[in-house]
Amino acid sequence: MITLRGLTKRFGSTVAVDALTVDVAPGRVTGFLGPNGAGKSTTMRMILGLDRPTAGQALVGGRAYRELRRPLHEVGALLDARAIHPARSGRAHLRAMAHSNGIPTRRVDEVLDTVGLDGRAAGKPGRTLSLGMGQRLGIAGALLGDPPVLMFDEPVNGLDPDGVRWVRQLMRSLADEGRTVFVSSHLMSEMQLTADQLVVIGRGRLLIDAPIGEVIARSTVAVRVRSPHPDGLAALAARLTTAGASVEAADRNELTVTGVTADQVGDLAHELGVRLHELSAHAASLEQAFMELTADSVEYAGGPTGGGAR
Amino acid sequence: MSTNTRHGVVAAEWTKLSSVRSTWWTALAGLLVMAASAGQLAIYAANDNTNDDPTDDRGIVTVGSVLIDSVELTQYVVLALGLLAITAEFTSGTIRTTLQCTPSRGRVLLAKAAVTGAVTFALGLLLGGVGALVARPVLGEWGSAPTAGTIGDIVAVAAYLALIGVLALGLGAALRSAVLTLTVLLATLMIVPLSLQEPDIDVLNRIADVFPGVAGGHFLAGDTEPYPRPVGLLLLAGWAAAALLLGRAALRRRDA
Repeated sequence: MITLRGLTKRFGSTVAVDALTVDVAPGRVTGFLGPNGAGKSTTMRMILGLDRPTAGQALVGGRAYRELRRPLHEVGALLDARAIHPARSGRAHLRAMAHSNGIPTRRVDEVLDTVGLDGRAAGKPGRTLSLGMGQRLGIAGALLGDPPVLMFDEPVNGLDPDGVRWVRQLMRSLADEGRTVFVSSHLMSEMQLTADQLVVIGRGRLLIDAPIGEVIARSTVAVRVRSPHPDGLAALAARLTTAGASVEAADRNELTVTGVTADQVGDLAHELGVRLHELSAHAASLEQAFMELTADSVEYAGGPTGGGAR
Repeated sequence: MSTNTRHGVVAAEWTKLSSVRSTWWTALAGLLVMAASAGQLAIYAANDNTNDDPTDDRGIVTVGSVLIDSVELTQYVVLALGLLAITAEFTSGTIRTTLQCTPSRGRVLLAKAAVTGAVTFALGLLLGGVGALVARPVLGEWGSAPTAGTIGDIVAVAAYLALIGVLALGLGAALRSAVLTLTVLLATLMIVPLSLQEPDIDVLNRIADVFPGVAGGHFLAGDTEPYPRPVGLLLLAGWAAAALLLGRAALRRRDA
């Protein structure tokens, strides 16, 4: 259980995290979403007592991280997969972690086995590890103390498709064991596959904290209309607009309509005698839902649409 | 806090220090510098007695005094161990893992100080032994090596190097950058006190006497002036402790 209460972090005049109040519950995978620069990593660092909150608090199992004696038994975290000494082997890295929390060193071999790093890879110096191997090593470190709470910051970065699938299964099984699993990502599609609950932030502010199904359901359903007659389509667009729908012309032969049902669009087309080649309703993907949610809060807009995470 | 956990944190720091090759290269470099420095200074001492200029004559010198003079240079290699124990964590980002494992900044720094101090003390004993072995035959008839005195000097050298190593560690924790820390250390150990002593004004000399390198020098040389020998050691230990406190304050206040 992770508890954030009015958690705030300011860097000078920039507000990185803005009065975040969230409970991350055990037994499910909670996706922590937001565009780059939204404050996800800063939030995670505050949970781990690495950054000091400007205001508010972050508690793990009801306690502040800095008060924990053997924190690896309470919280496992993967923050930055590249954070390993260039000359130190992965095994020595884990061994040092194990020592510090009184964890027997045989546990090191167990977690190395769990994450699929063989003896050769674990013996190589940090600088020679690929990003994917670094991620696996970081996850091994998180699992070391067999903690009830796990946090992963962008864990699938740099992993091959097999690795990505493995991480998904791992998070699922950790949650099924009753653990709290808090995973950040800027990839919506990834979260759609793994998360049960979504916490979305933009510019440090909480935008949504809800079950994933609800997030998708809340977002708009779009209707796609295709016609071989541009003129008829234009007339239809005008009628739809007066009917209160919002219409976007994909090109001369295609419209994307929101705010009305596909049935209503079909009826209007029939009324106007416009021949249609396609009339289809599309449930918004999480990606779209996310774009809508964060449209106003993207720190670095990528283009004229101001869309989404990069 | 159980004793077990404290031991664990120290064991973790030892694992970190011993698992990187740079530690062992640094130790080897220290040995080479000590051997070269002791050899050279011994040659000078013998030369001064045998050249044509009688004003140079120093008579018989102890092996210990050659060792102590060799430390002047060798210490910069040894303090790198203390320095790197913390600054490498900042550059590689492993400080976050370290603080994640042990959230108490003070405990982390104390464990690092224990390991750094023990390693540099042991290395200091080794360096002293090697220096003595090199200096003794080079000095020949112009050298003496009374057993008790030499052993005492070797232990004193080890204690000096251990405290300098901890001083470097504490400063490194406060300043984070290896280059900046080394610069400050060079200034504190050598440049500033030398500049103060240069004009040979009593007040300035007195101020210089408080600096860690000078205090340590008085302790090593067994001086009774300007203060008794233990005071030199205490002054140096005070500097090391102050550096650790400074480092802890910085680790506590700053975001990692």
